[in-house]
Amino acid sequence: MPTAMRSKGFIALALLPALLLFLIFVIIPVFWSAYYGFFSWKGFGDAKFIGLDNYKEMFRDPIFWRALRNNLILVVSSIVGQVPVALVLAIVLFKNSLFSRFVRSAVFMPMVLSTVVVGLIWGYIYHPQFGVANHVLDLLGLHSWTRAWLSDPKVNMLAISIPINWANIGPYLVIFVAALQNISPEIHDAAKIDGSAGWNKLIHVTLPIIWGTVVVTIVLCISGSLKAFDHVIVMTGGGPARSTELLATYMYNSTFSVYRYGYGSAVSTMIMIVSAVLIALNYLATRRKSS
Amino acid sequence: MNATITAASRSGTGKRAVFKGLAGFGKLILLAYAVVTLYPLYWLFTSAFKTNQDFFANPYGLPKQWMAQNLVRAWDLGNMGRAMLNSAVVTVSAVILTILLSVLAGYVLSRFSFPLKKVVVVLFTVGLLIPIHSTLVPLFIMMKNMGLLDTYGALILPYTAFELPIAVFLSMAYMSSIPKEIEEAAMIDGSGWWGIFGRMILPLCTPIVATISILAFLRFWNDFSFALVFINTQALKTLPLSLSLFSDGFGTDYSLTMGAMAIAVLPTIVIYLILQEKIMKGMVAGSTKG
Repeated sequence: MPTAMRSKGFIALALLPALLLFLIFVIIPVFWSAYYGFFSWKGFGDAKFIGLDNYKEMFRDPIFWRALRNNLILVVSSIVGQVPVALVLAIVLFKNSLFSRFVRSAVFMPMVLSTVVVGLIWGYIYHPQFGVANHVLDLLGLHSWTRAWLSDPKVNMLAISIPINWANIGPYLVIFVAALQNISPEIHDAAKIDGSAGWNKLIHVTLPIIWGTVVVTIVLCISGSLKAFDHVIVMTGGGPARSTELLATYMYNSTFSVYRYGYGSAVSTMIMIVSAVLIALNYLATRRKSS
Repeated sequence: MNATITAASRSGTGKRAVFKGLAGFGKLILLAYAVVTLYPLYWLFTSAFKTNQDFFANPYGLPKQWMAQNLVRAWDLGNMGRAMLNSAVVTVSAVILTILLSVLAGYVLSRFSFPLKKVVVVLFTVGLLIPIHSTLVPLFIMMKNMGLLDTYGALILPYTAFELPIAVFLSMAYMSSIPKEIEEAAMIDGSGWWGIFGRMILPLCTPIVATISILAFLRFWNDFSFALVFINTQALKTLPLSLSLFSDGFGTDYSLTMGAMAIAVLPTIVIYLILQEKIMKGMVAGSTKG
């Protein structure tokens, strides 16, 4: 029998490498960024302690608020543009026929593409001269709707949200299909005996059963929208006139090109706080619903 | 559609034809949706083979003349061989490291109870929720101090670290489903824990190792953010990073940029076509655990 000592040695040796790497590169940076946030530092020389000045500057910067607003636009557009579409597709495609499997794998495909490629392709689709978007509008006789989609501050966040939705519907579709396939046949039989079918069945039987899954996808939408950094960097770089900045691109643009690591750390800490608040709000909202 | 068909069968044969027609119409819409989803890719691959004149004169049709040399030019001018090698080195190393560390940690967490185990699990859970972009600045400073910037390690280590929570939870859940009797038998034989793990448990883990590898591969191969911040040397740039710079550098040479993009997405698309069921299941398992 292995002795307790041997077990202890094994536990330590097997767990520590993973734990240490994870602590050093994921957990500790969070504390470092909270700490650096109180300093002014150009990346060389001494860092100067400046208290809350970085945060004060951030709250006075209209571009920070614009970035926060754009992030929230993305959260809303993801929840509205991804979850319902995926749910409808899943209800129609939940059987494992050849046709449904084809459509499902087509919808999932963009998920495996690099975000850079997604951003570049859609940059071309929106191109003012040869982009498909304007061309299609012209064909539909909607010439007045054509515009420079990524430059016009009125619509560019919406334009950016479309490729993000395009690329992310796939996983939600697969999640919903799995949830629908898990509904036991007895429930379908019971619904039949009750004479429940069509819309009626969908709303009173199917949706309540998979409601938990819907909530999970909304959480994923929120955290996914906070990750939308690559698409913006590639499509607009946060411009024009910083109108498409997100919190993450705002952090990037106000740190690395201008050598303001203290300020960037303060913004990073703010991103942590915003995402914690969103997750907590969502937790409270869903807990109320399930109780 | 299932719902409409059951409704049709209830309401008599007369209406059945109408509902069948509706179902067919629904299928048509779905097919259109699939085509719209795939269209950007079709457009990318056809444009990649056009001359620049053809691209402007005839942006939506098939190429008048299939210019395979666009891909060759893009490969040479964009230094894509080097970028692909860098991506391969970084991705493969990080995938191997992720598997080793997460399978061992997952085994310990699924089999042993020890003080602070709860703390470890909570930490990994918190790790799932940390937005990676909020760690870019501190990681940059840390790696600068450690002399890691502009090395393969600057990508391999953070990739692995950020993939660990998902990978650990996936392997932990999988190993909890392996019956404990297997180890009890081995213990009577007098094998130590390393022997039990290596000879008994690891061979049983192939399915979950496959899932973790697929998830990690796609994440690392496609990563842009870390490479953008941590890699500056031309010779170390990964595929997504050099692609983004390529489009700046050759901004007006569209067929060249399209050629480079076609080369870059081809490996993932081929892998997706071969492994799609596994990829869909794995990504969903990974994201719902998260």
